[in-house]
Amino acid sequence: MIPENARALFSPEAASAPYPIYDELRPLSPFPTAIDSEGREGGWCLLRHDDVYGALRDHTVFSSASSLGPGGFRLPLIQDDPPRHMRLRRLVTSAFTPRRVAELQPWIDKLSNELLDKLPQGETEFVADYTVPLPVKVIANLLGIPGEDYLTFKKWTDALISFEPDNLGEKGQDLMAMAAYFGQMAAKRRREPGGDLISALVDAEVEGEKLSETEILGFCVLLLAAGNETTTNLLGNALNILAHRPDLWRQLEADNQLIEPFIEETLRIESPVQRLFRNTLSDVEVNGVTIPAGSFVMPFFGAANRDPEAWDEPNEFRLDRDLHNHVAFGMGIHYCLGSPLARAEAKTTLTNLVRRYRAIEPGSRPGTRQSSPIIYGFRELPLCLTPR
Amino acid sequence: MPLTVNRKKCLKSGQCTYMHSDLFREGEGGWPVILVPDPTDERQRADAEDAIDLCPASAISWEEPKQ
Repeated sequence: MIPENARALFSPEAASAPYPIYDELRPLSPFPTAIDSEGREGGWCLLRHDDVYGALRDHTVFSSASSLGPGGFRLPLIQDDPPRHMRLRRLVTSAFTPRRVAELQPWIDKLSNELLDKLPQGETEFVADYTVPLPVKVIANLLGIPGEDYLTFKKWTDALISFEPDNLGEKGQDLMAMAAYFGQMAAKRRREPGGDLISALVDAEVEGEKLSETEILGFCVLLLAAGNETTTNLLGNALNILAHRPDLWRQLEADNQLIEPFIEETLRIESPVQRLFRNTLSDVEVNGVTIPAGSFVMPFFGAANRDPEAWDEPNEFRLDRDLHNHVAFGMGIHYCLGSPLARAEAKTTLTNLVRRYRAIEPGSRPGTRQSSPIIYGFRELPLCLTPR
Repeated sequence: MPLTVNRKKCLKSGQCTYMHSDLFREGEGGWPVILVPDPTDERQRADAEDAIDLCPASAISWEEPKQ
């Protein structure tokens, strides 16, 4: 049965205010959203925490392999199953371990302070001034590409995640420019290898074979997009919460140890990635309902993270929760590769903000949300920061 | 020192059981169970080091479990 209001999940309203829709539909999870010409139900939505958590952990049934990705790029890892997924993940995982991120931390801190030094007096549009450049410059450094090009990278990855049907021509040009750029970068690294990720990718062998040009390009696109679209939105969501909750700001000021729980609770309550995709390889029972083999499934992280069966008062922001099971970074074998980096960027940012400013308030005009149904965050976030 | 998972830090992401199924398996509630707490051969010790490094929560270490 398709619930009457299921379409609401895919409406423009869901992009800016998804939570009331999740609350209404969650008790019905799992449910299909479409019926094909042969009468088969499809497009299954998982909204309960148990359903989402279970599906993410069961990669043998809920497959990630699919041929078409965003903007026509097939992305490695997030569109791969084991054993290939495991071999590809091994190629890049060492660049994102907590140990490597700890080594990068002083540099991230310097970058963060440089951006904060440049903020205008009074009101700042914090997305353009901080939450976009920080993550893009960090991931550009890991890839071994010049961070100064960050506005171009941002334009490319915006084109990649854009769901707006207008400007298709311009979007296609952006994606072609991105492909050409990374092709050149890969060729350069073949001639002059460095200690960066692109050098590691051009040098790597999987099952005795070098990665193809397309696979290297896919990796660059994945890392660039995942490295900025997500962390940018985590930072924007965190700052928006603090601008509206001076009580939380004062708590973080008084006790820096609360910064980590604050970040985890932000991830839970305003998850930057609201949902992803799986395909079932066999019939599977979820919450008493059989989802047939070959079904397209959407686990909604944002709905699972506010499930009242998983958390008391799930719509309340609280610093005293056990957040081991939040699924903002996914769960299981596809658990976000860059999570240590995202957490470090968020922690560094909040530590510096609390040290440098005594108040954070909303700006003269309200922030505007991203229009993407998948990525949840701010396109613009005007803020007033008062220095100490 | 035995290989230990700190449950206060563990996020149950499943990376250790996925990447090193010879050393870890998924137990009750999704918590990792250590199959070889004191790996002796060189390859297993290297795998254990790798698991420590790969854990996104830095929850695996060589130390006595805290009571």
